[in-house]
Amino acid sequence: MSEIIAALDKVSYKYPRSSDFVLKNIDLTIRKGEFFGVIGPTGAGKTTLCLTLNGIVPQFYGGRFFGHVHVAGLDTLDHPISLMASHVGAVFDDPETQLIATSVENEIAFALENLLVSREEIMARIPRALAAVRLEGTEKKHPAELSGGQKQRLAIAAALAVQPDLLVLDEPTSQLDPVGAQEVFATVRELNKELGMTIVMASHAAEEMAEYSDRVALLSHGELAALGGPDEIYSQIERLLQNDLRPPEVASTFYLIQKKGGPIPKIPVWMGEGVETLKKVQKTCEITPPRENWTARTYGGEPLLSLKDLKHVYPDGTEALHGVSLEIREGEYVLIIGQNGAGKSTLVKHFLNLLKPTSGSVKVGGVETSQMTVSDLARRIGYVAQNPDNQIFNATVGEEVAFALKGLGYAAEEVESRTAESLAAMGLSEAREMHPLSLPKGDRARVVIAAILAMKPEIIIFDEPTTGQDYRGAKYILEISRQLHQMGKTVIVITHHLYLMPEYAERVLVMGKGTLLMDAPIREAYHAVKLLQSTFLMPPQAVLLTQELEKLKGQPLPKLLTPDELAGCFRCNHSGRIP
Amino acid sequence: MTTPSGEEREVKFLGGASIDGAPVAYIIVLAAVVTALSFIPFSVVMASGGSFPMAQGVYSLVGWVLGPIAGAVASGIGALIGVFLAPHTAGVAPVTVYGAVVAAFAAGTMVFGKLRSKWWIIAAVIGVGSIAFFFGRALFVNGVSLKAVVLGGASQWVGVLLFCLPTRNIFARWIASKNIGMVALGVFFGTWASFAVSHVAQSAITYYMFNWPEEVWMLLAGLVPVEYVSRCLIGAVIGAGVIAGLRAIGIVKPTYATY
Repeated sequence: MSEIIAALDKVSYKYPRSSDFVLKNIDLTIRKGEFFGVIGPTGAGKTTLCLTLNGIVPQFYGGRFFGHVHVAGLDTLDHPISLMASHVGAVFDDPETQLIATSVENEIAFALENLLVSREEIMARIPRALAAVRLEGTEKKHPAELSGGQKQRLAIAAALAVQPDLLVLDEPTSQLDPVGAQEVFATVRELNKELGMTIVMASHAAEEMAEYSDRVALLSHGELAALGGPDEIYSQIERLLQNDLRPPEVASTFYLIQKKGGPIPKIPVWMGEGVETLKKVQKTCEITPPRENWTARTYGGEPLLSLKDLKHVYPDGTEALHGVSLEIREGEYVLIIGQNGAGKSTLVKHFLNLLKPTSGSVKVGGVETSQMTVSDLARRIGYVAQNPDNQIFNATVGEEVAFALKGLGYAAEEVESRTAESLAAMGLSEAREMHPLSLPKGDRARVVIAAILAMKPEIIIFDEPTTGQDYRGAKYILEISRQLHQMGKTVIVITHHLYLMPEYAERVLVMGKGTLLMDAPIREAYHAVKLLQSTFLMPPQAVLLTQELEKLKGQPLPKLLTPDELAGCFRCNHSGRIP
Repeated sequence: MTTPSGEEREVKFLGGASIDGAPVAYIIVLAAVVTALSFIPFSVVMASGGSFPMAQGVYSLVGWVLGPIAGAVASGIGALIGVFLAPHTAGVAPVTVYGAVVAAFAAGTMVFGKLRSKWWIIAAVIGVGSIAFFFGRALFVNGVSLKAVVLGGASQWVGVLLFCLPTRNIFARWIASKNIGMVALGVFFGTWASFAVSHVAQSAITYYMFNWPEEVWMLLAGLVPVEYVSRCLIGAVIGAGVIAGLRAIGIVKPTYATY
């Protein structure tokens, strides 16, 4: 057996102000060279577990601590954090909050200087660390010039330069677009496989964790609920769902087929395995396409939002939009997808009059936005930004919801009634006097949505609402979007998380390099796999498996989107023979 | 509630990156806030002439957030950098730095528990001693009338009195209250009391230097209360927001913080 690099022995921990223990009697060991995954819903204790490895918990936070944590032979409570930092590198979710220097090389040098590493040694380590994360040639750049994925790789390089025994990554891809997330996973995997670096990663990215981890710990309410290989953990679909975790779609699909009697001795948890299993299963089961009518719903009437030949050139000469034309009608649920820089945000800012067209026209309700003020548009269009915290600045939830209404000059009675109504609609009445930042992130998003609802807008735009949310939080927000849609609102969602949207969106706009690459019903858009991949978007695994099945069977299938729909095509008996 | 099966460990912060129980990072951040606010001129006239910095509104807040020692260090460093970067608000530069240190220290000693419950006496001695020197010089050396001194120095002696009386503990209790309105009220009056200690400590020096005449004392009678109210309002607005935010994000609290 490999050498043990970290060991947690009967670890329990309670923050100074928490009512219960956040970690409860955790016993586990991490071996040298291992890729150790930590999964669990928000509040399960993943971040706290990560922070025990470098002593930040409990040394920085205080509280009550039971048991022992040893990393590289050192007890994390008996050694200062500065010493532990030379053994444990840490990378957190938001790269923006981790970078402080004015150049890439200074960023890497910062921790080394603090650890009194000699200048010559620092100069030798900088190129090595940059090479390990494939950022050579960026030494003199300001970190702000880097993309999201590059920034996170720089944070990893800064941690690597210290030459730690263990690299801890807490949700390192949750704030990144698909390209950035792929870059980070590829880098971490390379560090693990080629340099033998021990990795501890907490993440909600089920597909990637299933593929890359050697072992996975499932935390639930602070307890170690399960520990095992990814095939063992991710194949326990019911357990994952009970813990508000999203299983990889490939695992969900074959789990459902197995429940229908499909001959699947072992549920595959990553795509390569899934394709192999599909080849075997399709031979023994009958494939019957579902009979549901999936014709896309059409919306009549005058367009609520319309763009004609919209072009936008930023002052620095960047052409962000090249003649985009589209119409969105009242009551539609539209999904806008595309990689960073595709023009999604630029497009949406024109709806809100935050940007003026260089040429072309933008109309809201048939009126040119150039004839409307930002406050006029704010009454008609609500905008929920990616990070709800950026939209919160009042001391109580009630004040936050009432703020814009007061600004728009409504009478006090109207402000009160709309505030109360909005808070009730979002289930926040009891939180009215609480500080918004004291609420969990999902609830903070609800505060922002309540503030927008209070203005009774016709259109609500959600900009990356699921970024940084766990599965439960993401579903929670999307259910709110569904609720608003059912109330007759026009809903526009921008997201990279395609797998979350089949239950909600009806129409998809695929953006790429400032143009509208596709405007189609969701089934058609999700099955345009090559086009999606050309803009660095990954279709859900259920879509890929459907297309794989079509190839294997040589027969066309409907454009299926979800594991349920795909598994619904399989007719198997319990002996594994075609009935 | 879970029963932990492991041995309970003593939790302590190792590594020394703190001053008197306040992490150095906090001290740096609050020193930077003091420096930044030093750029903003806040009043046209003051006893020593010139304008004074908006940072005066937060010296006391720094004391309540960090405690008397770390607060004095942060406030002093911030003011020291401020007098170089923003000389237009510096007045008599060394006195400004001294005032920043005394205000934060005095505020940090305003406690209602048993911890460091007697430290206020040090600040009170500074305050009472300074006021005796300041007013005594005016009355007995420069011949200023008692009426002028009482009226012109009203904001200061009332503030020092509020600091020396048990009102000091009441303000501290308000600052620690869960009710944010009470916090704002506590910061308002707490700023008045603690800054008055600092103000008389500074004035004892500047009056020795400038010896302003009775006419100026009478002018100050109308001007200084307005300045005090403004200074305390700044403290209350910034302070209530900062304290609410610090509580909401659950960041580790320095050992001797009042909030």
